[in-house]
Amino acid sequence: MLEDPAKESSETHRRYANTPETPDFAFDPEDPWTQTFQEGLARADLRGKTVYEVGVGTGINVAFILRNCGAARVYGSDLDPRLVVLAESNLRSLSPQHAAYFEPVHGSVSLIDTDAARAKIDKTDVVIACIPQVGEPSDERLTAFREAQSVKLAKGAEDEAEDHIAHYYPWSLFDEYPYNSVGLGLNEALMRRVRQQAPHAQLVMNFGCRIGTEIICECFEANGYKPEKIASKIVLQHAGTDISFFVTLEKALSGTNLEKQLVCKFYSDPDGKKPLSATEAQNLIDMDPEVALYHEVAVIRGIPITN
Amino acid sequence: MQVSNTIDCNGLSPAPTLLRIMQALVGRDDCGAPLNVLVGSDCNCDRLAASLGPLAGDVQLSHNIRQFASIN
Ligand SMILES: C[S@@+](CC[C@H](N)C(=O)[O-])C[C@H]1O[C@@H](n2cnc3c(N)ncnc32)[C@H](O)[C@@H]1O
Repeated sequence: MLEDPAKESSETHRRYANTPETPDFAFDPEDPWTQTFQEGLARADLRGKTVYEVGVGTGINVAFILRNCGAARVYGSDLDPRLVVLAESNLRSLSPQHAAYFEPVHGSVSLIDTDAARAKIDKTDVVIACIPQVGEPSDERLTAFREAQSVKLAKGAEDEAEDHIAHYYPWSLFDEYPYNSVGLGLNEALMRRVRQQAPHAQLVMNFGCRIGTEIICECFEANGYKPEKIASKIVLQHAGTDISFFVTLEKALSGTNLEKQLVCKFYSDPDGKKPLSATEAQNLIDMDPEVALYHEVAVIRGIPITN
Repeated sequence: MQVSNTIDCNGLSPAPTLLRIMQALVGRDDCGAPLNVLVGSDCNCDRLAASLGPLAGDVQLSHNIRQFASIN
């Protein structure tokens, strides 16, 4: 029996052991980002729906939406071809009775950019994704922009962890998308592709809201979707994570009379009551690299706007 | 670094528009021609130019992409 998503609770989380195999190249599903995403997925009315996950990672969400949200079928792919294979095997161990309802698209698939992926998107009701929102620190043009604002990269920021592509995207490659200017180029590219390929499909996307939810909602609207925040959590900013991108945005706007229109949102407390700009957050990190800083993660549902 | 001579800022509010222009100007070879910037119909170009300050001279703002063809 599938769980009723309406009854989804921490109780449900406890009854099932969600411990997928997580090699170093996979995004850690214990991360609060994934927990927030799943809270949103539980509220996204997925019962009976066909869902496509872009960037499946370990496959933890595939198992969750089949088992806990009552989705009828799930498609999924990832830029890293190893991950979709991992997702299949994790689903077989986490929820064998649902394994037949997952149809992976194999190979390296960026967004939905293969014929096989597009064929599945044609049959999809809801596209879900939690994909990178920060440009590669080593991106040549991003580096030039950062240096023009005299902002330094954090020590070690250019070292690539095994799961590097879970966190960063090739910024210059997505420059044709206007919201690339604030780190949303990859996400906007997905919005446009889905809008074109499956105009009636909804989007459910997970965001780190360090640039504020307003501008993320603006991006949905500019691409033909009515945005609605369906889950939100204040999470700990990973110590050592480079925030120079956000500092650079603030610095570039200073003295332009537009600085108040985009102030990045960090917090010094876990309740999200004491806001800090990125510049203030960076000053605290410079004084103590281990300082605890927080930011919001939110799940935004986009309903296609029909004219 | 290859950057297009026309950038689309349609749909962007003023702050990300300004950022996008600054990013494009940084990555651009100095080819002498202004950077063409397509803005939405609700964009206040005078205000945007004021926010750009000295960089305003390097860009050509327009609500209509066809206008660029007649300039360059
Ligand atoms: C932050 S992880 C999220 C993983 C999983 N969805 C979750 O919520 O736990 C981002 C995932 O997106 C994948 N990814 C990164 N860029 C991508 C792209 N251009 N197209 C498809 N997937 C991408 C990464 O390999 C990674 O598995």
